[in-house]
Amino acid sequence: MAEIVFAAGAPHAPGLIGLFDAAGGNTQAVVRDTYTALAREIREAKPDVMIVFANDHLANSRVRSYPDFLIGMAGEHKGPHEWFKPWIGCRDYVAKGCPDTAEALFRGMNRRGVRMFAERENLNFDDNISVPVVITDLDKTDIRLVPVLQNCTVPPFPDQRRCYEIGQALAEIIRDDLPAGLRVGLFGSGGLSHEPGGARYWFIDEEFDAWFLDLCTEGDHARLLNEVTIERMEASGSGGTVELLAWFVVLGAIGERRGRGFGYTAHQNFKCGVGAVNWPMDAAGQDALQTAGQGAA
Amino acid sequence: MGLEKFDPTLVSHDLVQDLKWNPELRAEFERDEAAVLDRYDLLPAERAAIEARDFRALYDLGFHPYLGGQLARLIYGNDAGDKANFAVGKLVESLQGDT
Repeated sequence: MAEIVFAAGAPHAPGLIGLFDAAGGNTQAVVRDTYTALAREIREAKPDVMIVFANDHLANSRVRSYPDFLIGMAGEHKGPHEWFKPWIGCRDYVAKGCPDTAEALFRGMNRRGVRMFAERENLNFDDNISVPVVITDLDKTDIRLVPVLQNCTVPPFPDQRRCYEIGQALAEIIRDDLPAGLRVGLFGSGGLSHEPGGARYWFIDEEFDAWFLDLCTEGDHARLLNEVTIERMEASGSGGTVELLAWFVVLGAIGERRGRGFGYTAHQNFKCGVGAVNWPMDAAGQDALQTAGQGAA
Repeated sequence: MGLEKFDPTLVSHDLVQDLKWNPELRAEFERDEAAVLDRYDLLPAERAAIEARDFRALYDLGFHPYLGGQLARLIYGNDAGDKANFAVGKLVESLQGDT
């Protein structure tokens, strides 16, 4: 029986790295505080493997034959893909892979009725995986990475309820299929509100972002599932905000629990709202949140 | 504007994905765009929209907006700073009917 020891959701906007130096002081402070805290939480949780769910961004498959989930099974994961380097502005990285866990995830999902696809070659990573890896220096740790790139943009795609169910299947796989004692981290990479490629490319829906982050820190999964629909996310930024579906996979895996936020910034040049949530997986972490008055599940 | 007009059969999706994935093709596109477009079975309206940088028309044909952002960067510039922002500006101008 393996266990989930870390869970978080956080944006991967390329500007977090490439446009950081040009951002204002408050924005820089929120970004620095958020990702420094996440990096610290990751190291303290000591996961053996980090499974990152993230929007594929049409980076790996034709739109005519587009998988809803694509698991990276490589022994190491290199990025960013060549074309995205100047856009993201981040360093190259090589993260250790975990083929055994990737295979167990692939096998376990398909046996549970969740059609996933898998690739042993290095996938094309843009900001989806590159930003969380580089900004937390995950590649400089011994933590092994299993990327799962998901379809958030080629309709029809799994909605919030289906992604949550897939998260529940993920929890089963971690509990029943992965080796005893394995420590697993879960990272939902994407969001908050943004509209890449749309007429509202510069738009950030601060009201939506604050509401969504509150629901996540409160751990109110019924409201998240009932109210954060694809239509609602699309209204807050078409084609971008829906990548919060990656967070729903994590939420389904961890069940209702309080979360910790790290502030919020809506810096227009990032073209994306920025705020993250970490859900402590141990009783002490949950108790600390209750004592601090954060979250209300 | 959302995905309601999205048409996955448009060949221009292949064009943009190939340009992302193939640096040699990308270099040729910069040198001789017409020669690259000649090799794709684009609808006449699709090709005309690309040549006119008319993203509004391309989206109306069913082009995926996420790839539209990338096509703008392929045409106007892809670095993290001014070039990508210029590309975003040109894309938004077209989509909002300012060009």
